[in-house]
Amino acid sequence: MDGKVRRALGAAEEATGKARPHRARALPAGRRRLLALVSLLLLLSACGSSGGATGGASESEAGGSAEPRVAVYLTTTEPMIFWDPSDGFSNEIIAMNNMYETLLRYDPAKNTFIPVLATDYQSSPDALTWTFHLRSGVRFHTGKTMTSADVKASFERTIAHGKGAAYILDPVQSIETPDDRTVVFHLKYAAPMDLIVSSPYAAYVFDTDVLRQNGDDWFTKVHEAGSGPYMLKSWKENDALVLQRFDGYWGGWKANQFDTVIIKPVEETSTKMQMLQAGEADVVDQLPYEQLEALRSDPNVELVTTPSWQNLLAFFDTKKKPLDDVRVRQALSYAFPYQSVIDDVMHGMATQARGPVPAGLWGHDDQLFQYTEDLDRARELLAQAGVGQGLELTLTYTAGDENERRVAELWKAELAKLGITLDVQGLPWDSQWQLAKADDPAKRQDIFMMYWWPDYATPYSFLWNMFHSEDTINFNLGYYSNPEFDRLIDDANTLAASDREKAVEEFARAQEILVQDAPAVFIYDQKYVRPIRTSFGGYVDNPAYPNVVFFYETYRK
Amino acid sequence: MAAYAGRRLALGLVVVWGLTVVTFLLARVVPGDPAARWAGPHATAEEIERAREELGLDRPIWAQYGLYLAELARGDLGVSIRTHQPVRDDIRAFLPASLELTLAGMAIAVVLGVPLGVAAAVREGRWVDHLTRVLSVGGVSMPTFWLAMILQLVFFKELHLLPLSGRIDTMTPLIHPVRTITGSYLVDGLLAGDWPVVRDAAAHLALPAVTLSAYPMGLIVRMLRSSLIEVLGEDYVRTARAAGFAERVVVYRYALRNALAPALTVVALTFAYSLTGTFLIESVFDWPGLGAYAALAVLTNDYPAIVGVTIVVAVFYVGLNLAVDLAQAFLDPRVRKGVVR
Repeated sequence: MDGKVRRALGAAEEATGKARPHRARALPAGRRRLLALVSLLLLLSACGSSGGATGGASESEAGGSAEPRVAVYLTTTEPMIFWDPSDGFSNEIIAMNNMYETLLRYDPAKNTFIPVLATDYQSSPDALTWTFHLRSGVRFHTGKTMTSADVKASFERTIAHGKGAAYILDPVQSIETPDDRTVVFHLKYAAPMDLIVSSPYAAYVFDTDVLRQNGDDWFTKVHEAGSGPYMLKSWKENDALVLQRFDGYWGGWKANQFDTVIIKPVEETSTKMQMLQAGEADVVDQLPYEQLEALRSDPNVELVTTPSWQNLLAFFDTKKKPLDDVRVRQALSYAFPYQSVIDDVMHGMATQARGPVPAGLWGHDDQLFQYTEDLDRARELLAQAGVGQGLELTLTYTAGDENERRVAELWKAELAKLGITLDVQGLPWDSQWQLAKADDPAKRQDIFMMYWWPDYATPYSFLWNMFHSEDTINFNLGYYSNPEFDRLIDDANTLAASDREKAVEEFARAQEILVQDAPAVFIYDQKYVRPIRTSFGGYVDNPAYPNVVFFYETYRK
Repeated sequence: MAAYAGRRLALGLVVVWGLTVVTFLLARVVPGDPAARWAGPHATAEEIERAREELGLDRPIWAQYGLYLAELARGDLGVSIRTHQPVRDDIRAFLPASLELTLAGMAIAVVLGVPLGVAAAVREGRWVDHLTRVLSVGGVSMPTFWLAMILQLVFFKELHLLPLSGRIDTMTPLIHPVRTITGSYLVDGLLAGDWPVVRDAAAHLALPAVTLSAYPMGLIVRMLRSSLIEVLGEDYVRTARAAGFAERVVVYRYALRNALAPALTVVALTFAYSLTGTFLIESVFDWPGLGAYAALAVLTNDYPAIVGVTIVVAVFYVGLNLAVDLAQAFLDPRVRKGVVR
């Protein structure tokens, strides 16, 4: 990092009285007398350091009198996969939530909705009609002023595309625009539209007029037409995505907010750590435990810990012998090293799961029964089921995921004490998933390990996707089928649209059944630990928007 | 000479075509479901089916290959399953970075390796010889990622002299927009005469290029030393010395030319290898090159990207081999005239 940014960052820290290492301008003479290799490096680096000195001249050329405030976010994976706001269902939400906006934003900490493009909304008692009143004076980056027609066109386009997370809009029958500032959703069946329109996927509002002029694939050619506080400045694949503040943003701008946001994928974790410590980055999405420990002693770095909505589960093949016997599944649930996984694999950055709905998401039941490690109970249950020594089971996990592998190995060691052999197999995700969906049930694995996170803030995402009966197997990878459970969660989901408290009760009853049936081991709910610079103010990790930093809310301290 | 080159070129094309068959088939028989990957996480069954049709994966494999070849003939390498970008665009984005790094590394290796190799051979058994032996054996045997991290520790963390990673400071191209001509920031900056860009690019390039140069430099030194010692012992060298030519002329004008051949081959093959084989260096320095792209493509079974990268690297291999052979022919008339050694 050089020139402007370096000094912008430096200036901010000097203001807070924190010293930071400056790049040396002159080289100590003694070091020149080294090997040829070293002197070559020094030569090149001397060039590099004088680069900083000439930065000033170019700034006046650029025309800005004040130095731009820059925020740098380092991510583990490429920040942009999909550029189309209708199709996006991957990491790009971390950038899209800064370029685009949704009607509402969900705040799980307070269980309330933050008005964004909509200022308020009502639903009919049957929850089939939802009316949203739009904010006035919202402009897209294209210069166009947002009206209800744009909201309607955006949602209709996303539904028509039918890609990514578009299925969350399945309840929508039609969209009506009685006037420029009102949008009415008519639903096929009752659904919590307020939660759906605050999803980080498939719920963005954008200017569709530009597509009429430039073709429907215009977004995929690296363009955006959102209304968010930041607009696209430049992007290079596997390199930085640069966003620039949108001067016409409806929320206006304060002096200490960021002018430029850089989102950069950095694979090497030690590089990420060093960049953060050197002040070249403000926030890092994740780091391994060892490095987080090392960062604890750095006064310029702070670790922000938040419970996430991502959990880890291991599904039993409930159709295959002997796992079709509930006692065997319960026994294996008792023979799981929960505490050791949390302490030794996750180093405390997770809590033992209580059912499939993670803590912190509404619908989570903190009174729900929880299995604990109890090998005697497991032996008893296995004896009752008539399962003796010599049982062999195959577990698949996603290759490359060290946490999953370690969890599986620990479990394997526990099961060995019961005379059960666990064959742990790591497969690339699509192979693992393909095997689980094999037409011949005999070919499928016995135990399938994976993470889940919701598409929008609802327990139904967990309960329906992973445990509702499926004719064609997709994510019900324990092949669980219980009509009573199905009925309960479907009812609860309908209720969620009108009476969320009642829905919570129904979801709780469904989860009791589920935990007794033990179609899966509910392993842990993950915590996010985000290392940030202490000078990076205003950051709140919202688990409803995984890995997203809403840069408009942040500022330079 | 032209017929020789033509024959070699035709053979090269056959090699590249054969590689497309093998990689395409290999990448497609590996278990996995590209359609599921394409459709993204949490995809519904319908979405995956639609993706399967969109990608043509519902057709028999020979039809898929035929379609691929037809597209390839038009210069289209398909769309990456992982990045959702055309593979051609992906490669266009990553290849310049790899070329820049590899060329810089090779340049350092040759510039340092040739004089060191000559010095070692001429002063065989003296301290220069021992020193270069330590340097070259070290360069060849040192793990590159370790060397990379040591350089980072010294030049970034301790001396604050060079940037830690990346190709260029993210802000530099924004403040100093330089027209992309070659895709190398260094060369484009030079062409535009924009010194801040050149300086920044050179500073970023220094550590990864030095890391990359260690291995080929060691090889060049060792190979050049041994072949030069052999050549220096030959009769014509003694004759030249006896005729009273200056030692400098004997070594550089007559002996070196004959001793260069093996080193040249090494340089060319290491160059082609380095385009994708420097994954560790790219990873440590966060260099957005083809190696990282290829590694991710393999890990995610992104078959259009795997085949695309294979074709590009194969073209380089074949092309460089051809270039080396032609250079050998130029250096050694016996090859050119078809004399079998």
